[in-house]
Amino acid sequence: MALVGRDVTMVGGLAKVTGAVNYAPDLQFPRMLYAKALRSPYPHANILRIDTAKAEKLPGVVAVITQDDLHGLNPYFGPVVDDQPVVATERVRHVGEVVALVAGESREIAEEAVGLIEIDYEELPAVFDILEAIKPDAPVLHAQRKETTAGVHREEFNFQVGGNVCSVYHVEDGDIKKGFLEADEIIENTYTLPPVQHGHIEPHAATAYWEPSGKLVLHTATQNPSGIQEQLAQIFKLPENQVRVIVPLVGGGYGGKTHARLEPALALLARKARRPVQWVLTRDEVFLTGRRYGALVKIKTGFKRDGRILARQVEAFYEIGAYALNGPVNAKTGCYVSSGPYNIPNRSLTTYSVYTNLPPTGPFRGVGVSHVCWAYESEMDDIARRLNVDPVELRLKHLVRERDIFVTGEELISVGVTDCLCRTAEAIGWKGKEEQAVPPEKKNLLRGKGLAVAIKSTTTPTTSSASVRLNADGSAVLLTSSVEIGQGLLTSMAQIVGEELGLPFERVTVSSPDTDVTPYDKSTSSSRTTFHMGQAAQQAARDVKNQLLDVAAKKLEARIEDLELRDGSVSVRGVPDKKMSIAEIFRTRFGSTVGSMFGGYCFKTAGGLDPETGKGKAAAFWFFSACGAEVEVDVETGKVRVLKAVTAADAGHAIHPKQCGLQNEGSLLSGMGSALFEEMVYDNGQPINSNFLEYMLPSLEDHPQEFQSILVETPHPDGPFGAKGVGEAALPPVAPAIGNAIANALGGVRIRDLPIKPDKLVAALQAEKENR
Amino acid sequence: MKINISTTLNDRTLEVSVYPNQTLLEFLRDDLCLKGSVEGCGVGVCGSCTVLVDNRPVSSCLMLATDAAGKRITTIEGLGRNGALDPVQEAFLKHQAFQCGYCTPGMIMAVKGLLLNNPHPTESQARDYLSGNLCRCGTYVEVLAAVQELAGR
Amino acid sequence: MRRFELAEPQTLEEACALLNDDGDAKALAGGTALLTLIKHGIFIPKTLVNLKKIGGMSGIDYDRQRGLRIGALTSIYDVESSPLVCQYYPWLAEACHLVANIRIRNMATIGGNLAHGDYQSDPPTALVALDASVDLTRGTGTRQIKLSEFLLGSYETALQPGELLSALVVPPPDSWRGTYIKFTTGSSEERPCAGIAALLRMEQGICRDLRLVVGAVSPRPVRMHHAEEFARGKEISEAVLQTIGAEASRVVDPIDDLRGSASYKRQLVGVLVRRALAAVIH
Ligand SMILES: Cc1cc2nc3c(=O)[nH]c(=O)nc-3n(C[C@H](O)[C@H](O)[C@H](O)COP(=O)(O)OP(=O)(O)OC[C@H]3O[C@@H](n4cnc5c(N)ncnc54)[C@H](O)[C@@H]3O)c2cc1C
Repeated sequence: MALVGRDVTMVGGLAKVTGAVNYAPDLQFPRMLYAKALRSPYPHANILRIDTAKAEKLPGVVAVITQDDLHGLNPYFGPVVDDQPVVATERVRHVGEVVALVAGESREIAEEAVGLIEIDYEELPAVFDILEAIKPDAPVLHAQRKETTAGVHREEFNFQVGGNVCSVYHVEDGDIKKGFLEADEIIENTYTLPPVQHGHIEPHAATAYWEPSGKLVLHTATQNPSGIQEQLAQIFKLPENQVRVIVPLVGGGYGGKTHARLEPALALLARKARRPVQWVLTRDEVFLTGRRYGALVKIKTGFKRDGRILARQVEAFYEIGAYALNGPVNAKTGCYVSSGPYNIPNRSLTTYSVYTNLPPTGPFRGVGVSHVCWAYESEMDDIARRLNVDPVELRLKHLVRERDIFVTGEELISVGVTDCLCRTAEAIGWKGKEEQAVPPEKKNLLRGKGLAVAIKSTTTPTTSSASVRLNADGSAVLLTSSVEIGQGLLTSMAQIVGEELGLPFERVTVSSPDTDVTPYDKSTSSSRTTFHMGQAAQQAARDVKNQLLDVAAKKLEARIEDLELRDGSVSVRGVPDKKMSIAEIFRTRFGSTVGSMFGGYCFKTAGGLDPETGKGKAAAFWFFSACGAEVEVDVETGKVRVLKAVTAADAGHAIHPKQCGLQNEGSLLSGMGSALFEEMVYDNGQPINSNFLEYMLPSLEDHPQEFQSILVETPHPDGPFGAKGVGEAALPPVAPAIGNAIANALGGVRIRDLPIKPDKLVAALQAEKENR
Repeated sequence: MKINISTTLNDRTLEVSVYPNQTLLEFLRDDLCLKGSVEGCGVGVCGSCTVLVDNRPVSSCLMLATDAAGKRITTIEGLGRNGALDPVQEAFLKHQAFQCGYCTPGMIMAVKGLLLNNPHPTESQARDYLSGNLCRCGTYVEVLAAVQELAGR
Repeated sequence: MRRFELAEPQTLEEACALLNDDGDAKALAGGTALLTLIKHGIFIPKTLVNLKKIGGMSGIDYDRQRGLRIGALTSIYDVESSPLVCQYYPWLAEACHLVANIRIRNMATIGGNLAHGDYQSDPPTALVALDASVDLTRGTGTRQIKLSEFLLGSYETALQPGELLSALVVPPPDSWRGTYIKFTTGSSEERPCAGIAALLRMEQGICRDLRLVVGAVSPRPVRMHHAEEFARGKEISEAVLQTIGAEASRVVDPIDDLRGSASYKRQLVGVLVRRALAAVIH
């Protein structure tokens, strides 16, 4: 192929290396005001009184909004549950909740005005711990809960009424009781993961204004323009065409920008101020706005002495903070993969999403899967150690293969997980059982290798639509609402369209999302863009191609099947002289060489699960990955260094291999951070490390000296040119691979609570010594 | 009250007045509309606001604009001559040393600072020097490759 | 950032007078610590007194008799890269090099680092080991006190209102051999969880003198006087290292924080002290 599968020059690079990109915080509009939020200092409290008079009198303050400005609106929103108020109403449920929002002529004025707002609160009992939150006597965050009418397929969740459990999900197969009865051995453990930050270096940022006609315009750094449009239309009771969402290049998302965060309150403020208002969060505020769920995962596995795993039971609790956001989706997505990419005859898998008085969460690269993968992949190594077998062998014996039936009852296709594991093992220099040898005595620096694999679904069913406009000069533009967040879709989509239309790469451009112009897309999340939007783009291009061929067939008096479209011309295969340029086709069809030809396609995936049984079709495609790590553990200080890391993902067919490799590198980096030190810490609901001085992202010095990315290619029949998504694939196995490497270095001593910080490691080694 | 200063920005002398509480980053972005330097953390950790002051990288989010007085400031917009890219920019393009690009101008300025200070850094020197510029997308390997090429190694 | 006034004195006298006359005014050097506090709303300023327009407050001199003199406004990078410091006090250069990142080191001043009094710092540990002193001035007249007496606790120093730190004075290195170890528990970029400075004078395999300072674990750097005494006159065997490490562990009173639990830090100090000494010897 001319374009697909090649590392063409990444689009937008020139703007990026010259600082010419206008990201959301860079935008400027005439008469623009600046927003600043007043946030709750309490984790749970009733709002007794708000007095904004002093703030409103401060020169330069143009508008202030509070709960008193919500009349006439649908004041609650959310992607799955309508439980988030546009601004806090009557009650605050987490530290940092927005109680008032001020628009001022400058950031300083807005900030000063925030300090002048008076509020009386009545503190309420609060709950922060997952297991505390599900107790019957725990303070309840949401007395009533309303399901949203927007977005996701809410019928797939089992919402709970009362208490803090937001949703429950369950799927099983075989007979779990019988499985455990037949097992020779059973191991059972609890694993935990703290909340972590997405860490997009660009903070959340948006600008809103209202046109005189009553149309809302939002420029926002979101991964989800269609979703924002839908939610804002609902809140303001507008038809969707009266909400225009425009998205510039986004400075990193990783899931953190998938749902409405700033937009609802900002739109309301702009309406009151009657001027454009920009809201850019400080880093501290980002910490109060979104994060990855914390989780507690209980896992129990029964196996035979001959190495057959018979039964696995998982019960996972996701701590979703004060509002649901996509918590139930997360719990569902985590549930059916919680026994791993393995064939295990008897399974019982249950997940819960649980409210607490902590800041809101949201999707995070690897939605829900990293949590259970941390548990099941650590457990696999423990089982191998118990059985005294090579953990790779143990995995290979159980890994799912092509056409196996998964726990959801669906047939798996494009299953490259065995390749991912084997190639990773080879790249990391895996030597088999001896990797689990007893460490030498009296050595301070111990080395170990570890491996892990993962399986994840993409959100299903969903819709992506695209349109392609071909100009008479043979240049084309793809109109799409998918968002460039660094993953390189401006490049890969141009490759797909160019390939289909036989155009040189430079002749194809890809639009930025503007919901007035670009068609619906479910969202740039769940690693779904290459597969879904890629398919929509390819089909839209094919639509144009068919129109071209139609005209040419008549003119050239040839059959369509004999025509080929290449380098901007249609020719009869084997008869190079019988040929028409795109311009000539335009002239033939329209009488002149101006104008454009449109092609469109709406790609819908089928599927969905029965919430009662958890059975059905969970994924339009599954992605598979593996990670291998070699670490050095300083047993005296507890410090771990990752010396070498390998990540592998099954890309189906890599449209742009380099970009896929970069996704693997990003996954590694993020996974390494959460394995070794990233952790958001709260003291009674108050965040105590909500800045990059105290919460650090992995640096260049932390990055392993050796890193290798592997792309396995198992073409998927429904993907464009066989392609699947890879964005999230490699992240979930990183932490367990590192954990397994550490356990191997230490002769089996295992930390089950992330992150594996030095003090925990030293304490575990000490405990081990005392037990011996 | 504003303070009058004279400074050299990207080789041009400017006489400007700035607010006492204005950071250099705010001055560049708000007053001069130079948006290439961006804020990531506001506390000198992430490096996305890196500019050169007298050829040394600093965090413009923690430097007061008044302290630019009498200094030579170089921002990402000041790299390259007559429409040609700076070699560092060329190398970043060639090695695909960015994804979302938000940290990229800061990263490029840091590399610029490194090479001005040490034209032929070893890999470990480059790691040490650049480790304070954070990239969450994960392009450290590519940045290092770009630097190694520039360093002639 | 919140609004504040900025005074930009040209001389030290003027600066001290400004600070003396206005109790709410605060000195601003590199700004890397102070502006962060302001941005986080921890410190709400009315007037800042910018020291950077004052002449003659930066620079490094060395004299074989008197030692090293570093102007308070000298950037941390200038300290680490000074050929004089690298030649005579390599462990001080190392402690400075390990501070933050290149940008902060270019901006932050050594005086600001000391005056800020943050216990999670690197240079103070090395400087206390070197028995450094600071010059404190009110514009008229200067007093010199030992750094170990200047650093009183977490964010607490002996600076009086209206007083500025003008210079840092480090005695000659004589025949010390030394090292500084910074240990971080998370990212390489973090502030220290512990810092160890060890200076040793050896004669024919026997320890003639030892200076051992543990920093960043408690509110101020702690000199291990007992351990130093114990080491004197001894051959530094593995057993002696163990004893010194254990002694250091015993003496420190670590703060429990995000970088590690107190009990962990106590144990860590023992390990790092041993390693620091072993590194100096080998
Ligand atoms: C991202 C980051 C990472 C860091 N990492 C480290 C690290 O790893 N190790 C480490 O040791 N430190 C670290 N630091 C701290 C850094 O070293 C200090 O912020 C810096 O040294 C302070 O110097 P300054 O000149 O910027 O002080 P300023 O911020 O200007 O002032 C700090 C305080 O000292 C006072 N002051 C300043 N100069 C004088 C003077 N001459 N006389 C009297 N009072 C004065 C000020 O009034 C203020 O109270 C880090 C800082 C940042 C921002």
